Amino acid sequence: MNSDGRMQQRLRHEAGALLEQDKVDRIIGFEPGSLKFTTTPLITKIKDDLDRLVINPFIVNNLAVFLPGLKGRIAIVSKGCDSRSIVSLIQDNKVSRDDLVIIGIPCPGMIDLRKVEKLTGKDRDEMDDIIREGDKVVIREGIRDEGYGITPDPYPLTLEVSDVLFDNCLACEFPTPQDYDILLGEPVASRQSAAGESVESQESRVESRGEGDSRAKRLQSEASSERSVSGLQTINYRLLTRQQRWGFWRKEFRRCIRCYACRNICPSCFCKRCFVEESEPQWLMPVPRWQENLMFQVIRNIHLAGRCTDCGECERSCPMNIPLRSLTMEMYNLVGELFNFKAGMDKDAPPLMTHYEQEEAEDLIR
Amino acid sequence: MGAELNSEWEPRLLGLLCKWCSYGGADLAGTSRKKYPPNIRIVKLPCSGRVDPLFILKALHLGFDGVLVSGCHPGECHYQTGNFRARRRVAITKKFLEYMGIEPERIQASWISASEAGKFVEVVTEVTEGLRTIGPNQLFDEQRR
Repeated sequence: MNSDGRMQQRLRHEAGALLEQDKVDRIIGFEPGSLKFTTTPLITKIKDDLDRLVINPFIVNNLAVFLPGLKGRIAIVSKGCDSRSIVSLIQDNKVSRDDLVIIGIPCPGMIDLRKVEKLTGKDRDEMDDIIREGDKVVIREGIRDEGYGITPDPYPLTLEVSDVLFDNCLACEFPTPQDYDILLGEPVASRQSAAGESVESQESRVESRGEGDSRAKRLQSEASSERSVSGLQTINYRLLTRQQRWGFWRKEFRRCIRCYACRNICPSCFCKRCFVEESEPQWLMPVPRWQENLMFQVIRNIHLAGRCTDCGECERSCPMNIPLRSLTMEMYNLVGELFNFKAGMDKDAPPLMTHYEQEEAEDLIR
Repeated sequence: MGAELNSEWEPRLLGLLCKWCSYGGADLAGTSRKKYPPNIRIVKLPCSGRVDPLFILKALHLGFDGVLVSGCHPGECHYQTGNFRARRRVAITKKFLEYMGIEPERIQASWISASEAGKFVEVVTEVTEGLRTIGPNQLFDEQRR
């Protein structure tokens, strides 16, 4: 059994005990999704449901998004980034720490299936199992013999974990939750130092299976093309001129369909009434023109200043693959530089925008 | 705004002024017959703390060439802390929009007290001249391709 399996076993045990001893009213966790290698949130009061709780490399959702809408005492499964979102919600007075039992997962990073599919050249249906074993990811497929059922793949494919993690997981500062009541494993160190290299030079390392050169070449050319392995537009943004940057975003936001998935999935977007839906005054037309799309996203990001914890959910949920993390990261770095503030680190600290220092940012003001 | 109009183009500046200080400063500039560029259109706000980044972006979206947020000097806010909050908001708005590709000159902030008519004239003149050099706001124009 790998570490995910051990954590899962312990999670089911702890969650069961919490419900049994009536310490919480609800458990929020993950259960297997309807598609292979997906998970879906599970919110339950029933003890029998707890056998469906899973921990695997695909528990991507930030469950903190449910907290402001739920009443009562809640036990919540939380990765490093989620725990910071929870702390941020506590700072904003949206939830009370006393009502929460945080079940922390020392997070080894989530696997981006798109990267796996691209690197192996296989569709999700062709893979039967993706398991994390230390620094490697082992991908097995069942070989179906006619009439004899499935025999396990004798030649599993092995990939480096660093090649298939989500970009934000590669750059994760705090994989271990900031605040927890129960920790399901040993704390994990920051991955940030190792991140720089793996993001820049996404080289496909398809091992074993003795594939010919052609596929390795094809994989490499794909990896170095304009679209990154995860399918997002990547460019060396810092080298662009101002006009090119604006042009880039103009082009990206032309695709936006204003489904508001990024907003709805975001734990920091907790307004009861969003400014985009306001009609008096109507700040934005509901029409998906790029001008409105861009304004929506800019204002959303400004609202997220000091709240966003780089969980990457907005980018993952975007059906049009707009590189939203480029914006959220900029805001994250900006509040760090300007105000020395990091979101979701200290539940007793005041939220960024309700606080001030006597001397700050004066150079921006005449 | 097409290139053919450029010779006649005049920058349009939106001033978001706090009622206690900067608006008083603007008023004093007028009553003391000081000359300042007529390019500024002023909105009187109860406090610079009323400024929402949405106002700034919406002004640019509507075609204003620049926005000037102005309030009381630090420590002199009528409501104690409004201008400190405005400062944080304007700072992130300006920096963030610069990252997206908007000229930082378009978003300006200043502290002007009700007695500083001279400073008001100076700031508005400088900002207007700055906008003149960077040219009209075509950020949200539809470009034919």
